[in-house]
Amino acid sequence: MAGQLIPDIGEPAALPAASAGSRPAPPVAARLAARAGLVVLVVLKRAALLATLLAVVFIGVALLPGDAASATSERGESAADLARRRARLGLDRPVLERFWDWMSGLPTGNLGTSAHGERVSSMLATAFPNTLVLSGTALVLTALLSLAFASGAALRPGGRLDRIVGGASTAVFAVPEFVVAVGLVLVLSLWTGWLPAVTLTDGDGTPASWTMLVLPVLALTIPQAGWNTRIARAALADEARAPHVEAAVLDGLPPHRVMLWHVLPGALPTIATGLATSSGVLLGGAVAVETIFNYPGVGAVLASAVADRDTPVIAGVTVLAGAAITVVLLAADLLRDLMTVGRR
Amino acid sequence: MTIPHRAARFLRVLPAALLVVLALVGPWITPHAVDEPGTMPFAEPGDGALLGGDQLGRDVLSRVLAGGRELVLSALLIAVVVTAAAAVIGTIGALRPAVGRVVERAADVLILLPAVLGIMLVALSWPGGGRLAVAVAAVVLGLPYAVRLVAHAAAPVAASGYVEAAAAGGERLWFLVVREVLPNLRAILLALFGLRFVAAVYVVSMAGFLQIGPQPPAADWALMIRENSPGILLNPWAVLAPSAAIGLLALSVNLAAAALAPQTGRKAVTLL
Repeated sequence: MAGQLIPDIGEPAALPAASAGSRPAPPVAARLAARAGLVVLVVLKRAALLATLLAVVFIGVALLPGDAASATSERGESAADLARRRARLGLDRPVLERFWDWMSGLPTGNLGTSAHGERVSSMLATAFPNTLVLSGTALVLTALLSLAFASGAALRPGGRLDRIVGGASTAVFAVPEFVVAVGLVLVLSLWTGWLPAVTLTDGDGTPASWTMLVLPVLALTIPQAGWNTRIARAALADEARAPHVEAAVLDGLPPHRVMLWHVLPGALPTIATGLATSSGVLLGGAVAVETIFNYPGVGAVLASAVADRDTPVIAGVTVLAGAAITVVLLAADLLRDLMTVGRR
Repeated sequence: MTIPHRAARFLRVLPAALLVVLALVGPWITPHAVDEPGTMPFAEPGDGALLGGDQLGRDVLSRVLAGGRELVLSALLIAVVVTAAAAVIGTIGALRPAVGRVVERAADVLILLPAVLGIMLVALSWPGGGRLAVAVAAVVLGLPYAVRLVAHAAAPVAASGYVEAAAAGGERLWFLVVREVLPNLRAILLALFGLRFVAAVYVVSMAGFLQIGPQPPAADWALMIRENSPGILLNPWAVLAPSAAIGLLALSVNLAAAALAPQTGRKAVTLL
């Protein structure tokens, strides 16, 4: 749960099932055009939300007391020195002008300059992809585990597996990733010696071996798998009450077939949205987990930015993280549209 | 509600309550000084230090006992503020759809901001904010989801006949929120408080771990994990004990919140 706050805590509400009414199908070309229009609309909406977030972040940072120049000032620096540095960083210009410069630079890959005058984009060029690999792997593993556990549990409601999965998933989702990481390091690395406890890097700045990814990925996955198992279990339960599932059961289909072909498709949009929400938590949790494993990702960059009070770097990471989360949410949106259109 | 059910519920809330009380009184019952070395750095357990020493040779047990109060207090404060604000704003959102839509959009936007980054941004742009900055960030980041939850729960109540009757009778919005709708949401609000407490423990400890919140030499569970992890082989307890404290706190409060949650949300699959 929840680098970011645990998203949307509470029993997940399933989306209303698509109406099963049959209407005469419109011509293929018109349908394709409508579908394309829908996709464009969804993309635009997500892009607008991302732009809003960046605006809120920039203006929030500008409104709070203190700026990059004063935060990095050294003891004994005179007010004139401070003003000179502020001018060099462009902080003496009006907020709206700086905001426009920053926003218009983003699409070209220019993330601004750090408080020490370095380009933020070059500081993150190898670190952010490393973090994406870490949290992306964790996201895929989370999806597989939560689907497997939830469908296994839903096959026998109230059975032993259902109760174990329910209890375990509720128990783990609240534990911070760095606490999970400490437990994993102690057991799987220091006491048994099976996996490396620290990440060594190659010359190009990537982890030297895939075994170094196992522990960080597990530490990120365990809490999120707990959370998503709960969402998937509830979504499957909602979908299992639909009339078409009852019909399939009455037709005498075996339970695993009903689960795979009749229950899961309807529950998939809710599950996908839950997983997409987790992507932000995974990125946030990665920052802490990377610190424990010495993994070469944004965690290290952020740690030194925190020590230097370097807000522009953190804003740059926010842009990249926001963009990555937007892409995952977009995929979930499109999956939902696809499923509901396909079922009409 | 039958007596056994109530007893079972009490038993599920008990561990969380005990841990919170222990964390609150902990600083008064430390066996050794919190900030003075008593052993060798990373000394193993023994010699009157039940859990050994930390990276400066300070008593780990004392620091674990002392290191939870501020975490628990700030988490409680955040949970209270978020729950109270969400109760009012969410109910208004259910009664006034325009407000509800604004909240939905705010939640859509904030989901793009990992909490860690949000807290870093606030804490760094607000030098001297300290724990208050972390708490403000946690409240702002957690509020939209909580409001959304309350608004969903309040919607059926807001649409019920007696609320419409009161609204048609000319009652003010404030009266509708506080006297007509909110009393019906007690169970939801209690569960929301528990979950917000868990989320706040997560956020505050994450901030501590990333060294944005409490600064050395303060005794703080999350900070202890960070400071002592280089010596995890020499004295694992210096890392394990604070980790277990945070893990158990999150876990027990979470189970307590699940026990308090109204059971209507859980549906059984009956057909498979």
